Amino acid sequence: MLTVENVSKTFSTPGGQVQALKDISLSVKTGEFVSIIGKSGSGKSTLLSILGALDNPTTGSIVVDDTQINKLSGGSQTKYRANKIGFVFQQYNLIPNLTALENVMLALEFGGYPANSRLDRAIQLLESVGIEEDQQQRRPTRLSGGQQQRVSIARALANQPAYILADEPTGNLDSATGKKIFDLLHDLSRSQKTTIIVVTHDLEIAGKTDRTFTLQDGKITTK
Amino acid sequence: MNVVTRGIKNATRSPLKSGAIVLMFAVSIALILSMLVARGSVLTKINDLKATTGTAIAIAPAGVQGGQGGGDLLTTDQVATIKNTANVSSITSTLTDQMITSDTNLTSSLQLGGFGQRQARTDTSTSSTGTTRPAPTPRINVTGTTDVNSISTDGSALKLTSGSTIDANGTGLVALVGSSLASKNNLSTGSTFTAYGQTVTVSGIYSTGNTFQDSGVIMPLSTVQTLTGQAGAISSVKATVNTSDNVSSTVAALKTALSGKADITSQAETAAASVSSLQGIANLTFAGVIGSAAAGALIIILAMFLVVRERRREIGVIKAIGGSSGKVIAQFTIEGLTLTVIGAVTGLILGVFVSGPMTTSLVSSSQSTSTTASTTGRGGAGFGGAVRGGFSQLGTNVTQVTASLTPQIFLSAIGITLLIALLGSAIPAWLTSRVRPAEVLRTE
Ligand SMILES: Nc1ncnc2c1ncn2[C@@H]1O[C@H](COP(=O)(O)OP(=O)(O)OP(=O)(O)O)[C@@H](O)[C@H]1O
Ligand SMILES: [Mg+2]
Repeated sequence: MLTVENVSKTFSTPGGQVQALKDISLSVKTGEFVSIIGKSGSGKSTLLSILGALDNPTTGSIVVDDTQINKLSGGSQTKYRANKIGFVFQQYNLIPNLTALENVMLALEFGGYPANSRLDRAIQLLESVGIEEDQQQRRPTRLSGGQQQRVSIARALANQPAYILADEPTGNLDSATGKKIFDLLHDLSRSQKTTIIVVTHDLEIAGKTDRTFTLQDGKITTK
Repeated sequence: MNVVTRGIKNATRSPLKSGAIVLMFAVSIALILSMLVARGSVLTKINDLKATTGTAIAIAPAGVQGGQGGGDLLTTDQVATIKNTANVSSITSTLTDQMITSDTNLTSSLQLGGFGQRQARTDTSTSSTGTTRPAPTPRINVTGTTDVNSISTDGSALKLTSGSTIDANGTGLVALVGSSLASKNNLSTGSTFTAYGQTVTVSGIYSTGNTFQDSGVIMPLSTVQTLTGQAGAISSVKATVNTSDNVSSTVAALKTALSGKADITSQAETAAASVSSLQGIANLTFAGVIGSAAAGALIIILAMFLVVRERRREIGVIKAIGGSSGKVIAQFTIEGLTLTVIGAVTGLILGVFVSGPMTTSLVSSSQSTSTTASTTGRGGAGFGGAVRGGFSQLGTNVTQVTASLTPQIFLSAIGITLLIALLGSAIPAWLTSRVRPAEVLRTE
């Protein structure tokens, strides 16, 4: 269970104050697959970063499974990210000089997974997202966009997180590949009861999720 | 793969860039080491110079050098003045004379040679013009002194090959005979010879390694004064000053006190020019150490600054997927340390090889203009000759600064390098801690 109450976020820029989120309240049930849509600059990424404790709200609170994450110390927020959250980014954001396998193992290391079984677990994760053996040994630059995104989903799943936060995971992919990635996420939410919050521009994708939130100028307009 | 291997692996991520950083850093470390070596060697030389030039001041009547020249000998009053000058701790007085054939039954062990012939000719032509010149005969130098060790050419105690020393402050008819003269005249301890109409007993035989000195006779000062009928007369005084720092002020004080009646010289004063030019090099090398250390630090800081800047997103991702700040800092610190350690080792090895030639070229280029301390003295008797010998030796010494890499210098180079390396690692640590993980969601 994830509850957002009266969250506002204001950025100070040289040009003045930018209010990216205005008094947002919403809640997502465990195992739900929800989408957030909205125009560019409406605050989608900002909301996602606050849900993932990458940033703190200016006011308001975020309670995740009885813990108010915006009040945690920096170290505890890091642990929260390592163990409870799996991120999937539009730009994939794999570490460039590590192989696909090493990228997944890095997340396992941060999640405190035992060192001697990291390799087996990483191989199993990559196979489950359809990355074959020879691709596992490649660096991100030697993989296609769709393959990179699969690796990043494997990395997000590494520590069996309760939540997956995906910011336009299909934004850089062609529609066919994007659909496959989406289906992959969809299957996960069904099979592993993982709560998935996905930001998207694609209304077709949004239509397939359990619920869709629409952001407009930092406000929730539909629930 | 852990933080350490990731850090090391990242350091070699782009070999060209890392290579350039390592090379630049290595050069600055090599410079630091070379400058430290040059400085150490020059400082050692300065100390050596100060120690060897010591605290001695030579005072001779104006116009007299060795046994030659004109002017009046120093008087008892003048000697008393010298003795009472501030900071003068002790004095050694010397009176030299030369015995001709009518004065003694000894035969000189010196060959006149071309050099001696020339002196003898000028001597006789001034005294007896128009008369037939007698065949020149070498004379025998007699040194009356209050301290027989002042005859030693190298500043140490006079070396006796047999017998015992004489009481230089006494009035006895005793003498120390130079080894060359002794063998020429078959003299040994206990033998006697005639000098100025008196019988003198040989107390010991000495050897200095200087043929001129070893052809002379040393007797107590009073004895020589009495024998030559010059009561109270002194041809040169060596004053010893309490500390080397007071030498130049004492020289000035003596010059005033004796008001031009005597030539006053000290090795310390003559060496001062060399010392100050060496001091100049020492200061230069110190600035060099600071400069190359600053350059090395700047290179590492700049390089790490660029590395962190270039990889902001990567740092953000690591933080976003649950990497603690500690792990990020550790990884980048190890990356920085890998570069600095490789650079430092390369630099230190390079430094060991270039520090020698560097010191030599540094010292010789600035010394070539200042080696004027060397003098070419005619072999005069007694103290004057010894001092001039010392001077010329000093002149060559100054140019012989040897570059030596002592363990202390090597350790201080390592210390400075370590300091730079730590700084070069602390900078990325600080920089990475400022990267906000939320930035990974921002599109470039
Ligand atoms: N770090 C920041 N500093 C200043 N302003 C920011 C910052 N982050 C976001 N903003 C501003 O907040 C608003 C919302 O940004 P956000 O990135 O959340 O939009 P978005 O809905 O994700 O847009 P897009 O669909 O283009 O990704 C924008 O006006 C943006 O300029
Ligand atoms: Mg966005």
